[in-house]
Amino acid sequence: MVALPLRPATTAQASSENYVPCAWRSPDEADMSAWEVSPMAALRTVDAGVKGAPVGPLVHGPVLECRELHKRFGDVEAVHGVSLQIAAGETYGLLGPNGAGKTTTISMACGLLEADRGEVIVAGRPLTTRSVAAKAAIGYVPQELAIYPDLSARENLRFFARLYGLSAAAANARVEEVLAVIGLAERAREPTKNFSGGMQRRLNIGIGLLHRPQLLILDEPTVGVDPQSRNAILESVEALSAEGMAVLYTTHYMEEAERLCDRIGIVDLGELKAEGTRAELVALVGEHDRVTLEGTGDLEAAARACKSLSSVRAASVQDGGVQLIVDSARSVLPELLRTATDAGLAVSAVEVDEPDLETVFLHLTGKALRD
Amino acid sequence: MKVVTIATTDLRRLLHWRANIFFLFVLPMLLILLLGAAFGASEKARIGVLGANEGRLARQFVAALGARPSTELHRYTSADALQQAVARGRVDAGLEFPAGYDARLQQGRGVTIGYFARPNSVAQQLRATVQSVAAEQSRTLAAAQVIQRDLKASFASALARAQAAAATTPRVLVQLSAPDGSAYRTTAGRFDSGASTQVLLFVFLNSLSGAAFLIETRRLGIARRILSTPTSTGTLVAGQLLGRLAVALLQALIIVLGSLLFFGVNWGEPLGTAAVLVSFCLVGTGAAVLLGSLFASEQQAGPVALLLGLGLAALGGSMAPLEVFPNTARTIAHVTPHAWANEAFSKLLKHGGDLVTVLPQVGVLLAFAAVAVTAAVWRLRHSLTV
Ligand SMILES: Nc1ncnc2c1ncn2[C@@H]1O[C@H](COP(=O)(O)OP(=O)(O)O)[C@@H](O)[C@H]1O
Ligand SMILES: [Mg+2]
Repeated sequence: MVALPLRPATTAQASSENYVPCAWRSPDEADMSAWEVSPMAALRTVDAGVKGAPVGPLVHGPVLECRELHKRFGDVEAVHGVSLQIAAGETYGLLGPNGAGKTTTISMACGLLEADRGEVIVAGRPLTTRSVAAKAAIGYVPQELAIYPDLSARENLRFFARLYGLSAAAANARVEEVLAVIGLAERAREPTKNFSGGMQRRLNIGIGLLHRPQLLILDEPTVGVDPQSRNAILESVEALSAEGMAVLYTTHYMEEAERLCDRIGIVDLGELKAEGTRAELVALVGEHDRVTLEGTGDLEAAARACKSLSSVRAASVQDGGVQLIVDSARSVLPELLRTATDAGLAVSAVEVDEPDLETVFLHLTGKALRD
Repeated sequence: MKVVTIATTDLRRLLHWRANIFFLFVLPMLLILLLGAAFGASEKARIGVLGANEGRLARQFVAALGARPSTELHRYTSADALQQAVARGRVDAGLEFPAGYDARLQQGRGVTIGYFARPNSVAQQLRATVQSVAAEQSRTLAAAQVIQRDLKASFASALARAQAAAATTPRVLVQLSAPDGSAYRTTAGRFDSGASTQVLLFVFLNSLSGAAFLIETRRLGIARRILSTPTSTGTLVAGQLLGRLAVALLQALIIVLGSLLFFGVNWGEPLGTAAVLVSFCLVGTGAAVLLGSLFASEQQAGPVALLLGLGLAALGGSMAPLEVFPNTARTIAHVTPHAWANEAFSKLLKHGGDLVTVLPQVGVLLAFAAVAVTAAVWRLRHSLTV
């Protein structure tokens, strides 16, 4: 059971509506230590202080395109014919259980692993393990913590900032911004081995943001993280996406994919089983959503009006509410609400019972996403 | 300058760990001090003497001993005190004249002097000195006995005539020189050889231990992450090599300057010494990176580093001097870079050599370095891209 109306169909749509370009924001909105509270605010405020476009040059066409990627390790067919595209501002989720081939796919997508077959195109340029310059467009955040435990957060960030090609001065300035964004400004001088798991994860992500990449690749960034840090990470990904960054996000948590991703690819045993928006994927299951509109007014008229909508399969009055079977509650709900209201129903609550990605995975692979 | 960024980060990490100050600085200095105290050739060999007032002949013996340029006399009045002084190393050896030394000799009877020492090379040299003084005295006594018998003179006057004759008698002298005919520089300080052998031991040992940095960088996924940035494998490899080289050079510099400052060690001709040290550091760098690319965990590499670091140093003459090795062992020793570097230091520090005289050794060291670095680069590239 999911209570609505809570969330727009996709993050990107929602964000673009209330998205305010960075330059319009005044510095007094700044709350450098507010990362835990509102990473979005912190991110944007910080970005406002920096000259130039926030996320690289504008690209026409997809920021990342993978075509028919194949990779085999001995007998293991780790990745088998995976193709996907991600546009600027889009968050794409690779959802699959451990061993599905997510990390292997990502490794090829960021030029760390040579594909046996297929190609990767980043910002319009082909990418192989040897294309050094093209890697500047990508911010890769590996699944394991890849930070020096004996260096401080600031030293770690400066090191990678230089490797991402920032000049010493630019690196120093940008490092302070990122420290603020990831909420580690206060503890920037401490060796990272003293940090909590959540703090280390945030630093791990922060490193990938140093050079304002066009494409951010996050490999299971919330594994082993406390709920508060996890939420902060998810919010910052939403914020980055809202600013136009293309994000490739892998996870085996259904909730994260549902919450963050505009489109989701379901992977298992190295193959992309299905791809699409959450609703599209759920529609594959062939089941329909059940929507209950509770309220006062002319229930019968509301039911009749709703039933005339093309995506509504059935409508009936039950227990002081209107119960509807629809193709996709997500896409029909705004129209449904408008129609019911117009027909004289004062809606006080909406309940949707819908199949989720868990169901989709079960449907596609015959097994549960998590065992 | 990403190569420099990678190298300086390695160096920074090394210095973050306080214990490294001990391994890089304190430990080498301590060992140089200990080796200097234990084996270093002091300016003079110290000999403790007991019973030197037994009579004229005993006094003459002691005076002759004291007149040798390499000995320093210390007088003792009890056997206990002398024995303790030798045991504690306050003197290198003890010499005890028996009661009635003069009387027995005047009666034409033999006499035995007690000589006791710790078993080291200084005591061996001292014994030779004591024996030569004893031989000289015996020679004069033999002449005096002949004079006394043939001329029926008193022993005292016979001895006086024999001694006068001995002063003008031609002598056979032994001239000491290096195998190539050059003169030995006998002024080599107490700490010189300890410092030059230890600099090699520590540069190599600490280079090899540094392999752990490379392994950790790879194990933590940092190497992979570096390669996800616009940084080529070649740059990463070069950065890691440069980092190891910087550490090796730092170690060498610390020992050279530290020993110069604290022990006044003579490091010979600067250009020659620099050439030997830099080429040796390059060998250490190659070996470190090779080791770091061959092992998957620091726990595996650690013991190997220690074994190779100490083993090669021992084999190559950094624990006992090559000069004391038997011929075959000395030949075998030359499979180690240490042996070549020690040989070069021996030329520079003991025989007044310079850059030109050590060029053959430097050449061999550079060849060692070329092989090690090439193998290391090849293996490291492989370990980074798989
Ligand atoms: N370097 C490798 N060598 C051998 N097998 C590998 C290697 N990397 C991954 N695999 C195998 O490939 C499959 C996919 O792994 P991976 O991409 O890491 O999955 P995920 O990230 O989805 O958990 C797994 O069966 C894994 O064991
Ligand atoms: Mg993975």
